[in-house]
Amino acid sequence: MNRYRYLLKKIGWSVFTIIFVLILNFFIFRVLPGDPARAGIHDPRLTREAIEKIRVRYGLDKPVINCFQSINPVELGDCGINPFDTQFFIYVRNLTQGELGISYHTNRPVTDVLVERLWNTLLLIGAGQILSIIIGVIFGIFAAWKARTYIDYGALLTGLLAWSLPTFWLGIILLFWGSNNGFPIGGKITPGISSYPFLFRAGDIAKHMILPTITYTIVFMGEYMLVMRSSLMDVLSEDYILTAKAKGLSTFQILKDHALKNAMLPIVTIIAINLGFTVAGAIQIEAVFSWPGLGGAIFEAVIRRDFPVLQGAFLLIAVSVIIANLIADLTYSYLDPRVQSE
Amino acid sequence: MKVKYTFVIILTILALVLSACGGLGQSTPVVMRVGWQGSPDTLNPGAAVLSEAYTIFGLVYDTMYQLQLDGSFKLSLAESLTVSDDSLTYTYKIRDDVKWHDGQPLTAEDIVFTYDLYATTDGYPWMGDYTYYFESVEATANNEVVITLSEAIPNIDAQLVFLYVLPKHIWENEDGYEFENTAMIGSGAFKMVEYKPNEFVHLASNTDYFGDKPKIDEVIFQTFENSDALVQAIKTGQVDMITEMPNTAVETLRAEANVEVVAGAPFAPGVTDIIINQVTPENCPPDDGVCSGHPALLDRNVRLAMAHATDKQKIIDVVLLGLGTPGTALLPDGLGIWYNSSLKDYAFDTAQANQILDDAGYADTDGNGVREMPDGSRDLTFRISWPSDSIDSPRMAELLSEMWGAIGIKLEAQALDADALTAVCCPAFDFDIILWGWGSDPDPNLLLSVMTTDEIPTGSSETGYSNPEFDALYLEQAVELDQQRRVDLVWQMQEIVHNDVVYIIPFYSQNVQAYRSDRFTGFITDQPKVELSDITSLILVEPVQ
Repeated sequence: MNRYRYLLKKIGWSVFTIIFVLILNFFIFRVLPGDPARAGIHDPRLTREAIEKIRVRYGLDKPVINCFQSINPVELGDCGINPFDTQFFIYVRNLTQGELGISYHTNRPVTDVLVERLWNTLLLIGAGQILSIIIGVIFGIFAAWKARTYIDYGALLTGLLAWSLPTFWLGIILLFWGSNNGFPIGGKITPGISSYPFLFRAGDIAKHMILPTITYTIVFMGEYMLVMRSSLMDVLSEDYILTAKAKGLSTFQILKDHALKNAMLPIVTIIAINLGFTVAGAIQIEAVFSWPGLGGAIFEAVIRRDFPVLQGAFLLIAVSVIIANLIADLTYSYLDPRVQSE
Repeated sequence: MKVKYTFVIILTILALVLSACGGLGQSTPVVMRVGWQGSPDTLNPGAAVLSEAYTIFGLVYDTMYQLQLDGSFKLSLAESLTVSDDSLTYTYKIRDDVKWHDGQPLTAEDIVFTYDLYATTDGYPWMGDYTYYFESVEATANNEVVITLSEAIPNIDAQLVFLYVLPKHIWENEDGYEFENTAMIGSGAFKMVEYKPNEFVHLASNTDYFGDKPKIDEVIFQTFENSDALVQAIKTGQVDMITEMPNTAVETLRAEANVEVVAGAPFAPGVTDIIINQVTPENCPPDDGVCSGHPALLDRNVRLAMAHATDKQKIIDVVLLGLGTPGTALLPDGLGIWYNSSLKDYAFDTAQANQILDDAGYADTDGNGVREMPDGSRDLTFRISWPSDSIDSPRMAELLSEMWGAIGIKLEAQALDADALTAVCCPAFDFDIILWGWGSDPDPNLLLSVMTTDEIPTGSSETGYSNPEFDALYLEQAVELDQQRRVDLVWQMQEIVHNDVVYIIPFYSQNVQAYRSDRFTGFITDQPKVELSDITSLILVEPVQ
């Protein structure tokens, strides 16, 4: 019973947060200065009439919401108009129909753009996350186990160094090294091989993934390693571990049966937070290796004031962060039953 | 569990081995891989904005005229042209042997449909401008297109050259604006194979093409978001040609044995300008004008002194690492015959600049190193801004601050987001000096219009310059049908704005590209303009034997 109530409460909050994000998403981009109809185009051929027609096409000629014609600059408007004639309620209505709109910049449906980019991002960052979690956690456990030996200091130093490496710099170094050693340095797949067999294409994608994945893994494993190490060392200094030692358990048994489960809590938090943001991509890695992921799409959309893409992307990120947090909460209650009773 | 992992590992190794083999024994077509930093925004020619899209259109579609790299126009889809005596009716006889990539014939009907589509679809950013003078467009039974104009214009070729002809049988069923056009059925020398936005564009040669057929089988444009990767890709042979590179990479690439670096005027000639706000109170736009420009900038002497104090060669050497030519008037040298090459630039001479300001009464009476207005009311302190995404501008502003500091002019620098810059620029005129630039049409009309009085309230005029003589010449050249006479008028206009120091033009930009000389040969590199990916060049390229 307790567990269900806990679950319902958490889900309720998540839904509330998503609704809040939906509303915020609409207004936050309209507060940005700049006109999507111009999108930074500085060209005399773009006449006033042409701009006006583009605005009508995008629906930007309509008031933002009742009483406000525009919110940057603030321009008051008619309050008595039909709400469904305002940008905000059109946005809400489209959302309830599952429509994210059409990108201003590329004229493509936002859903198409995001789904395509999302898969690419999940592929790259997913591989990087899994590798960095495995390597980081194992190294962390090893370091804590061999605490205050040269192994520990070596691991600590490596972890700190890896964590503090600027992603962009490391990427460029690997790019130079890789390009001289036959690794592809741009994109997800060699263009022009779409008629080749599936295995061949999969191999090609794997080859393209090597450099960015290594970059990602090196940068992120440091964090996992350090957190794992310090949290496990904390637990190992507890009295019950001493008791276990006194009972004559081997170090491996102590780690496996007594220490690890408790030491996992902070790691779960970090993994959950990172997984949520995974969806946003690692914009620097994507930029260095021209990986067609979400991060690049968001960056471009900001430059071009492509509201529909921005709204869609931020919704996606918000939802994944919220879901990841929800999963973390639920995992908590499994790892530490005290959590749900609070 | 263990078995499963082993299986995955074997699969991965297998995939890697297979990918290393490459080719899989097929006969290998000649593929040219091109690296660039962008990607087309859309394949819909009406809605597209980015130059990458236009590059692809030029390869896949045909137009009435084809623009040559020397700046001239050549009939392409039409085999002959007759013009009526009043120059209002143009009759193009369309070639009978043109086919769409799907096998259907291309006829005058398609062309009429396309021009109507461009003229009537709301939301196309540029097309309304190119079709502005069309009164009617009709097809005859004889496969001719008859264009009737509302007034005689001297440059119908420049109006038609970017109106890519689209297949009626496909587009008539689509919304002209929303159609994504990913299949991209055209009639050009190359046809679309596959397009992945932000990844690559894969084209193959059209073996049914009516004109000269390409000597290569495929062209692939691949997007590299980062310029270091782009340079590295051509160095290591992952691509065969790159359409752009940072100037800092030029030396490195020139040193490579198998890479040939070429430079010249860009296909759309570009100019970097120092915009000086000189709008007068009478001309201040009544609706949007703020007109907060420094009054000293209205004085030609001040602008002249600034021009004399500008060391353009130093700016080119420092900012562009030497890859640019010093500018005079707003029309870049890449415009060929339209560019007034006889203009003599103001010599870089700080002493003379100081003398001009002394004589005009701008003295530094309070000894703070900055001159004041003759009436002592204000220092000659100017605000200077540039678009924040510009790489060159911060260094240029620094250099200008130093150069103009030597004649007692102080600059207050601020980078602005492109949108914010547009907001202060025009038609608000809420600035003193802006560093910006233009890309030009092949025809000079556009850049000349920017300096007319009529464009002050529309926002196209950046300087607020107003000169009735210039305005009159502008109207005259716009209807002068004799090309040599029009050239004379255009030259005269450049002389006027140069004498009035409307702009200070630090340089005309150059296009720097590179290709693998061990793989391909035949690119056009001896013309004033350089664009290796242009159709006129790509059609000649062949693999090195």
